[in-house]
Amino acid sequence: MRLRRELLLAAPAALLLAGFFLLPVAAVAVDALREGTLAFTRVFALPAFWPSLAGSLLLTLVAASVSTLIGVAVALHLSRLPERQRTLLSFVIALPLTFSGLIVAYGFILGYGRAGFVTQLLGLAGFDAAVIGKALFTPVGLAFASSYYLIPRVVMGILPVLVNFDRAQMAAAESLGATPSQAFRQVMLPQVAAPVGAAFCLVAAVVFGAYGTALALVGTQLHILPLQLYSLISETGTDFPAAAALALLIAAVCSTIMTTGEWFGSRHERHL
Amino acid sequence: MIPRWITIAYLAYLAAPIVLLFVGSFGDLWLNTLLPTGATVRWYAEVAADPSFRRAFSASLFVAVMTCAACVAIGLPLGYAVFRARSARVRALARMLYQLPVALPPLVLAFGFILVFSSDALPWLGSVWLLIAGHIVLGLPYFLQTVVSDMQRLGLRTLEDAAESLGSSGLQRFLHVVLPALRHSVLSGLIVVAALSIGEFQFSNLVSGFLNRTYPVVLLQAFYGATGFACAATVILLALALTASVTGALSARGTARFATARAGR
Amino acid sequence: MNGPPAVRLQDVSFRYPGGAAGVFDIGLEIAPGELVVCIGPSGCGKTTLLRLIAGFLRVDAGRVELGGRDVTAATVRSRECGVVFQSYALFPHMSVRANVAYPLRVRKVEVGARERRAEAMLELVDLAGFGDRLPGELSGGQQQRVALARALVFEPRALLLDEPLSALDAATRLTMRDEIRRIQKRQNIASLLITHDQDEALSLADRVAVLRDGRLVQVATPQEIYDHPADAFVANFVGRANLIDGEVVAGDAVDTPIGRLAVPARSQPPGTRVRLLVRPERILPQPAAGGENVFAAAVVHDRFFGANREIELAVGRGSLKVETTVRGEITHVHVPRDAVQFLSPP
Repeated sequence: MRLRRELLLAAPAALLLAGFFLLPVAAVAVDALREGTLAFTRVFALPAFWPSLAGSLLLTLVAASVSTLIGVAVALHLSRLPERQRTLLSFVIALPLTFSGLIVAYGFILGYGRAGFVTQLLGLAGFDAAVIGKALFTPVGLAFASSYYLIPRVVMGILPVLVNFDRAQMAAAESLGATPSQAFRQVMLPQVAAPVGAAFCLVAAVVFGAYGTALALVGTQLHILPLQLYSLISETGTDFPAAAALALLIAAVCSTIMTTGEWFGSRHERHL
Repeated sequence: MIPRWITIAYLAYLAAPIVLLFVGSFGDLWLNTLLPTGATVRWYAEVAADPSFRRAFSASLFVAVMTCAACVAIGLPLGYAVFRARSARVRALARMLYQLPVALPPLVLAFGFILVFSSDALPWLGSVWLLIAGHIVLGLPYFLQTVVSDMQRLGLRTLEDAAESLGSSGLQRFLHVVLPALRHSVLSGLIVVAALSIGEFQFSNLVSGFLNRTYPVVLLQAFYGATGFACAATVILLALALTASVTGALSARGTARFATARAGR
Repeated sequence: MNGPPAVRLQDVSFRYPGGAAGVFDIGLEIAPGELVVCIGPSGCGKTTLLRLIAGFLRVDAGRVELGGRDVTAATVRSRECGVVFQSYALFPHMSVRANVAYPLRVRKVEVGARERRAEAMLELVDLAGFGDRLPGELSGGQQQRVALARALVFEPRALLLDEPLSALDAATRLTMRDEIRRIQKRQNIASLLITHDQDEALSLADRVAVLRDGRLVQVATPQEIYDHPADAFVANFVGRANLIDGEVVAGDAVDTPIGRLAVPARSQPPGTRVRLLVRPERILPQPAAGGENVFAAAVVHDRFFGANREIELAVGRGSLKVETTVRGEITHVHVPRDAVQFLSPP
């Protein structure tokens, strides 16, 4: 009786998700697997596939690592601030979360592109502006731009953990004879490692599957998997099963990274 | 000390693109100079006069409003059902299910839409309603995250028990207690959804029809034109996002006030 | 007890930047094996004092010695004080045994030896067999014992306890009070315990140090503090007190709101304003009028606590608090002359 009421409440959203989420995903999977593994074989045979895979892995690894490192450092600093300052700064730092990837792309072209403000400044300072101006349009440069909306996700994920961390523990460790670095490694790090791992996975999954910022920055010339999928889809006379196979591959990688992150997160919760 | 310097450098990194976009949008000419020369508002006038931008702007607003309405209409009941579910297993399972879209790249979802809705059975591709359906799927997880976690934070169950002990019926409890207590969280959830919908590019770029292209989709074309025009067009999107963030922060403070009242402080 | 004190503070002052709060001109010595309890209202600087000794704060002026060695400029680590924190600050990700063994681990004690010593310490605090649990699985009192074991396992030069009992429920607090005393005596370690609870201070301490607005008001044995408080503040803060203002009329008589009071003889000129202290339990109910210092009294408030009663009486133009085991109706009270003490005016 009670259960039925709850099912009734959940039904409209469940129907919508079934029709416009599960069905499309299933369609992708069915299309990809319709010819057995043939579609995948064709994807692997695409001349740009392996460079794209390498580019995507490089982008994901660099972007996620840099974002996590900077995000943790920023969160660490914020957690030590008085509450009012912290709230204000968190608000500023959270801004990019609602920004379209396009805003970021064009802003970075203005700042770090071939004729960008920072590029020219560095040129005036004696660096080779031509080299710097090109860097933005490589996977590593894209990682630099993507960090713009990844770092806030790391900060927002880690900050509550650091704020709730009992600082008396660090004082205790010190009074018991630990050096500051020992206290950080042996007392703080083991307790925040799981949420940091979860944040790393979250941003890795997001950046691995994203193509908006890359498309706006460089068009489809850059070798990363989502851009390759995008060109496959928008080409005329598309090999749909191959595109589906590639889409399924990307989705599988993203969900795997995300699940790993969830596992990290649940480990942390069990801990408390 | 190191985290402090990293934070300062990070804030500069954060501000630079925003500042440059603003500067560029008011600059008359920006070609291979450090900063633009001449001040003008003509780029904004040009964007405002451009018929495809005008159409895209209203299309984006329409899609965002419809997405928000749908999130309240179907997302709030779902969130409430999940929150009320007695078994912790069911709650965890439901949460995992509605969080799934977060793990799926919008690009892959868009491709799925193309496969399903360009078929003869469901020839809906290009319809604005299909676009809205996609935006709902992408926004719902964020909406539910905000609302369900606030239901727990506000101690809604205790409030409802109190109302029940005072003699109020199920529907009355929902109308008198649940909705008023949640109004700030619903608002902040909706603002997140609206901001995501207005800025969404990766899904809309493939799914929107030519006549209902949303603002970001049209914006991409502007990037290949004059710098000032592209800046002005981008700043408009930026301004919408900033407005959403400020409104969102203010309404989240409203929830925080309720929550502290509960803690008895 | 020869040799240097385990802890010595000489003219120690510390002021928090941008405020008036801090501690000022503190002189305090703790002998080896002695337990000093520092008591005072919240915000009086008790915890600051502890943090100055442990080294979390550095003194602005003065000198801190541990075991005769000047540690004024030394780091927290090198001071080797065992600190028990108010929140215990146990490491939630380490087992109980790992927590207790942690000080030995950072001192590079070999694994076998440190496990043995941690286990022995756990036994001392009655937690043998709990070594594999996580702190989160223990009760508050048990966590407190772990914190104590951890602070003692490396044989620190002093034990510093910051309101160690405040997070416990009333029953556990009593048990733990005795436990702390037992273990402290057993280890024979110089200890400073911070509290705002007077019962805790009186029952635990070898000596009590009363702190007010950052200054030490009195340092003495519990009995001395109770029987001969240095001033009205101490009298009121430690134990319940009747403070009566009056004017001297003769060498052994004072006019007060409750009437003329016969007091121990003292050479003071008539007209001097004085403040008198009478502890409530020294006042005796009396069935009828007659005799020295016997006053008619009307009950204003009567609280029953089982073994005794606390009564507020209207006497003359003033009032008296009385603690008694007498059950019947109360019409008169007797204030024995030797129960009256002079206090220095506040």
